[in-house]
Amino acid sequence: MPNVQSFSSLRARSYVFRLPLFTRLMVLAIVVLWLVGIQSAWDLRKWGALIPNEMNFFTAYRMNTFPLIHLNLLHALLNLLALTPLLERFESEYGTLTSAAMFFGPLTTIPAIAYVILERVIFRVNTPVMGASMWVFLLLSVEAMRTYKINPYFVIGTVQVPTWTTPLVMAFVTAALIPSTSFLGHLCGICTGYLFGLGYLKFIAPPEKILRWIEGKLNLLGRLPHYVSVDQKTYGRFGVLPQSSNSGSANLSGLLTTWYDQPRRSLWAAARSCRRRPPYISLLLIVVGVAWLFMLPLNDYSRRTYISENALLPGQVHTYFGGSDQNVLRAYRHEVGALENKTNTEVNDKLEHMFRSMGLKVGRQNYTYTTSGNTVAGENVYAILQAPRGDATEAIVLVAAWRNVKGEFNRNGLAVALALTRYFKRWSLWSKDIILVVPPDSRAGTQAWVDAYHDSHDSRRVADLPIKSGALQGALAIDYPQEERFEGVHIVYDGINGQLPNLDLINSVTNIASGQMGMGSSIQHMFHHNDQYRDRLTCMLRGMVNQGLGHAVGPHSSFIPYHVDAITIQPVGQGWHDEMGLGRLVEGTFRSLNNLLEHLHQSFFFYLLMQKERFVSIGTYLPSAMLIAANFTITAIALWVKTGYAPKTKEKKEGADAKKADQKSEETPAAVERELYLPLSLVTGCQFLGFVPLFVFNHAPASVTLGPLFVVVTLLSLVLPHSLSFFLVTTYKPTHQQYQLITSFFLLLLGMFLSTLATLNFSLAFLVGLLATPLTFVRPFPKMPAAGYAYSALLSVLNPGVVVLSAAVAATTLQGSSGLGLGVVGVTPWEAVQKVLEEGAFGWGVWGMYTPLIFWCVWFPAWVVGSVVVLG
Amino acid sequence: MQFFSFLLTVLVPFVVASAAPAADYHEQLNLKPLPQNSLLASFNFRSNTSLPEFEAHNFRFFPRSLGQILQHAGTRELHLRFSLGRWDAETWGARPWDGTKEGGTGVELWAWLEAESDDEADHKWLTLTNALSGLFCASLNFIDSTRTTRPVMSFRPEGDHPNTTMANMHLLHGVLPREVVCTENLTPFLKLLPCKGKAGVSSLLDGHKLFDASWQSMAIDVKPVCPTGEECVLQIEQTIDMVLDIERSKRPRDNPIPRPPPSHELKCNTTKPYHADDTCFPTDSLNAQEWNLNQIFGKPMLGNCPLTDPKTPPVCIQAPHSRDVFTSMGVEELKEPGNENQRCYLLPSNDEEFHLSLPFMPRDGDRPKTDADEFVQPATPLLYAERSLTGHGQEHGGVQAILTNPSPGAEVEFVYMESLPWFMRIYLHTLKARISHRTGSDAGQTLHDDDDVIKEIYYRPFLDRQRGTQLEIRMKIPPGSTVFMAYDFEKTILRYTEYPPDANRGFDVAAAVITILPSNSSTTTTARRMSNLRTTSMLLNLPTPDFSMPYNVIIFTSTCIALAFGGLYNILVRRFVGRDEGPEVSLVKLRRRLQEAVQKVKARAMERLGAAGKEAKKVEGKSD
Repeated sequence: MPNVQSFSSLRARSYVFRLPLFTRLMVLAIVVLWLVGIQSAWDLRKWGALIPNEMNFFTAYRMNTFPLIHLNLLHALLNLLALTPLLERFESEYGTLTSAAMFFGPLTTIPAIAYVILERVIFRVNTPVMGASMWVFLLLSVEAMRTYKINPYFVIGTVQVPTWTTPLVMAFVTAALIPSTSFLGHLCGICTGYLFGLGYLKFIAPPEKILRWIEGKLNLLGRLPHYVSVDQKTYGRFGVLPQSSNSGSANLSGLLTTWYDQPRRSLWAAARSCRRRPPYISLLLIVVGVAWLFMLPLNDYSRRTYISENALLPGQVHTYFGGSDQNVLRAYRHEVGALENKTNTEVNDKLEHMFRSMGLKVGRQNYTYTTSGNTVAGENVYAILQAPRGDATEAIVLVAAWRNVKGEFNRNGLAVALALTRYFKRWSLWSKDIILVVPPDSRAGTQAWVDAYHDSHDSRRVADLPIKSGALQGALAIDYPQEERFEGVHIVYDGINGQLPNLDLINSVTNIASGQMGMGSSIQHMFHHNDQYRDRLTCMLRGMVNQGLGHAVGPHSSFIPYHVDAITIQPVGQGWHDEMGLGRLVEGTFRSLNNLLEHLHQSFFFYLLMQKERFVSIGTYLPSAMLIAANFTITAIALWVKTGYAPKTKEKKEGADAKKADQKSEETPAAVERELYLPLSLVTGCQFLGFVPLFVFNHAPASVTLGPLFVVVTLLSLVLPHSLSFFLVTTYKPTHQQYQLITSFFLLLLGMFLSTLATLNFSLAFLVGLLATPLTFVRPFPKMPAAGYAYSALLSVLNPGVVVLSAAVAATTLQGSSGLGLGVVGVTPWEAVQKVLEEGAFGWGVWGMYTPLIFWCVWFPAWVVGSVVVLG
Repeated sequence: MQFFSFLLTVLVPFVVASAAPAADYHEQLNLKPLPQNSLLASFNFRSNTSLPEFEAHNFRFFPRSLGQILQHAGTRELHLRFSLGRWDAETWGARPWDGTKEGGTGVELWAWLEAESDDEADHKWLTLTNALSGLFCASLNFIDSTRTTRPVMSFRPEGDHPNTTMANMHLLHGVLPREVVCTENLTPFLKLLPCKGKAGVSSLLDGHKLFDASWQSMAIDVKPVCPTGEECVLQIEQTIDMVLDIERSKRPRDNPIPRPPPSHELKCNTTKPYHADDTCFPTDSLNAQEWNLNQIFGKPMLGNCPLTDPKTPPVCIQAPHSRDVFTSMGVEELKEPGNENQRCYLLPSNDEEFHLSLPFMPRDGDRPKTDADEFVQPATPLLYAERSLTGHGQEHGGVQAILTNPSPGAEVEFVYMESLPWFMRIYLHTLKARISHRTGSDAGQTLHDDDDVIKEIYYRPFLDRQRGTQLEIRMKIPPGSTVFMAYDFEKTILRYTEYPPDANRGFDVAAAVITILPSNSSTTTTARRMSNLRTTSMLLNLPTPDFSMPYNVIIFTSTCIALAFGGLYNILVRRFVGRDEGPEVSLVKLRRRLQEAVQKVKARAMERLGAAGKEAKKVEGKSD
């Protein structure tokens, strides 16, 4: 059989030299007409194209010219490549004379007339068409019809697809992939081809007698080279008609069956092997997924950071914040210090006065949030420094919250921000407005402000902003509560729901801090990072925990969901840098942001940082979470396939002729019906059950009840599978197949949710996936109840509630080492649980954080169903 | 004949000058100190030429380059604006010239063209924009059909046109919000002046200071004026308005960096308890102005322009008479008796430099001065307007305009015009106007429907890639109220090639033009004239593709085609034959050929041998 390997240029050459006459002429005509079409004096395409509205008796020539004219070289080339072999085949089958008669007659005009009628009468549009593609599709469908007669179906998976549909599929593919193709024109060609292939158009073929007479009279065979005579023509491409020849067709159909059956067989084999091996495949995926994560800190898998946006030019400007500005800064610090214990309104009155005396525009905004029975209310004050020559189209934000996330008074931060704003006012180079926002707290205030700025706020809780500027291009928050001088800056970058700012912003600050100011910079509370594997891994894992929890870690976090790149800068340690140094760092960063012509878009938005100058990007780390999510899906699919066949193979195996029976069962598996009602309703019910705790914890008042409530819910959830399983067993007596189906469904859901989530919040998907891995291997243990209980105990340890409680205990006992900024340092486990729950409810209500949703509606239901299966 | 007309051009000015004492060229600089350490400087240059002379290509003070363009493009009235920055109405009050001499950010052009049909008007407009583009070094040629509108309610001809031409006049309006106005536009602007920036007030104009201003607007207006009982003249008026930040302008040109001042120069509030040598709460030094003309414009004024009427004072300052102003020797100060707040200065006819300085007026001491001595309190504008984008995301957005009528007693009627790009598909049904009263018994209430506010809407919807949306709304706002007008729009996904090189920056949306209609009931002079207002422009973010994506798409598509086409084509075209029917595989063939060859050789050899044997036998036989 000829195949790709046996392709040789010699044969190709001989093929080209053996092309019959009519084919040659057509190829030549297409090429010549394309060449003619190059000149611009006479519009060949307008002359020859099939334009429905211009069709009349005198322009009927268009029906014959249009296939020979092409739009451009590519069009002509592709059509030539497709047409030549098909036309050659047609000609060698029917003879040159017949081909010429057919292709200058009915085979071109019938589709053309059909097209024109359709366009003009039915669609009432006027789309000119040209090109030989109509012929290509016509010939293809003739061939397809012929194939269909011999070989009606080919098999994809379990579906039998009729072979005659292939030209239609190709027409769809062409219409979808190649722009400005006429689907209707192709369709007309295909229809005509079908008719011809089915033999309905035989009557239009010129009678053989006449052809023979012409041929004989003119001695065409002798005069024309490459002429295919009427007699030379072959019926069918196999030399003889397959239907009439016994030996040939048997041989051929044998060949074809093997060919077409191959996919079916291999699929069956794959399914068979899959049925046997899924646990190992799943386990392998989990192991690879986890191992993958631990490979990331290695030099070969992570990259050094770099500035991708050239416009930023970090650290390339002189910073002039200094000198007598320090005197002003000291005065502002006194002013701010004097306001420490004043009310929010008094503070804002004073700040508003200070802003106005600097010549800024001032706005104030009230907000009131109520979550978990607590009311968080306050008033933001903000000032807009209008760019001296700007036009309110873009703005950069400087945030100095009155209190930081931990509730500390941000005295120095605010003083620096005030002095800086006064200094910025003197420059005329700002291309963007600068907005100084002073929220009373770091958690709700910025959120209210950003929501209102983008008009996505609930006006019952958050007031409108009285004045606004342009599109926000970046935000920088200063968090400097400590009184002493500092050693370096700590960059906090996690946003809500694990979204991250553009890596260029972090790189710019790191670059300016270390390169220009000579300060250290650190991330994720890793103040002494030695850039070795262990520190890198710790740093990355801390980042993943923060990302996975999806909460706001600083005043900047609320900006990130609005695609405003934002970070918080915290001075840390004991060193020789003073507030002016911090001011110069902010100045340098603002100058860089000011340079931006475009919104930050160059660098990465999905990354894991493992050191301030080393990262992995999404392409490298994503497989890790995806593999873990895929392990659920693979088991689910395998179980689904398994449930479709007779479940008693195992029992047969135990017989004397086990091997034989096994073989037999594999050879001819008995298909069984799947009983879907119980599995579907159980999985759906449990899935919806998750909304109950979600609602309860987001609406219960926080006053002491939240902690005990959580313990009660956890205990209930531990008991729930037992009672549910008892109920199921006594009422429905689920079969083994039904248990398998239950497992399949919940694993399918889990895999689907987690793989989707991995693209949004990698860390959350990874962590939930990892904690849910034992669920892949659940199955009922009817023969070994002890094993069932042991497995159930393992699952109980990994109950979502138990995990949260034990994490709280662990975090509070390991206070020293855990500096994750979770706000659980120095409290009892009880308070920590309370705090986590409040944070969850607050995040759900204020920030739009979806971690509780994943917790209660993805992980919790899967755990419940998994435990029920184990206990079955 | 040629010679004669030349003579006329030379002689006529003298003749006219002697006949009519008022010269045809007039220039004036108006200085107006504003609160918060700002100074408004308005330059005004005006020259006339009579219409018959203009038709006869006798341009006199009228710039020839511009005149020829106008004649060629059949332009009857022309308004061209170059603007930068925003006018801070809250602090600076009403706009100069009632806002009629300013445009939105970037370049704005509108003109009345005389044409028989719309097509002819479009053609002339194309000629005009392209010619002006070359003349002013601005991208005016980018005003294509998508940026051109034909306003219906917003603009009225300012000149006096005879009724016969009025019928054939077409108003076309185009804006380029993204155009950055810079020195390259100032140079051709100055070249149009008779004194070309070499003498007179125009000698103060310097790109460094002009474009460092907080707000600036350059305007050119050409219109026919027919004073009653006199011959009609064609008037060109060139205006430059700028608001200078005095502190910033005073910085020397060779050291423009705002370094922190030495600490002893810092003005501190000494009453603070913590005040010390190293701690200083800055006082509100914003109000005390101290400057002179040389400092803030960077160069001195070089006498009078000799072509102006010597009776017109070239420099005026609008400040209370209690403000100390010092000038150079020989300058005559003119104070109008009726106007308490204006002083003008007549310069001696020699070419000496003119100096003007406003000294520091101490706020304490024997005779403390106040703000009222420093500057005239700016007039409240008739309307405050602010416009911003709302919403977020890549698909939908909204625009909100906040329009406030500050007047306690008079209602204000105006036309609000937006010309939006076609890729901002606005939904007119979402247009809502909400009114909120700031004063009176129902303060803060939002009661009214938009019916009470919106009187009339003219809307011309966009066509994709052909023209933008034109929206004109006539509104009436009752006294002391604010109207929030909002509408939604959808963002279009553009074609790959339609994005500009800096695609992620966003697209600029031109400023909305607000034309305040003259009110009949009001008695004040400002309200009786037409006045204008423009909002800031906006930056619209459209969904932007990752531009490396097409590469990926090409690869993906090629793979798809290769798989789908190749596979199917292979199945359809492949020739299946039985093994014995097909050609033999080459190696077997080779072997058979070899075998055949070997056999042939063998056979021949055998033949030979056989023959030889026979012969031998024969020989043997013979020998026998």
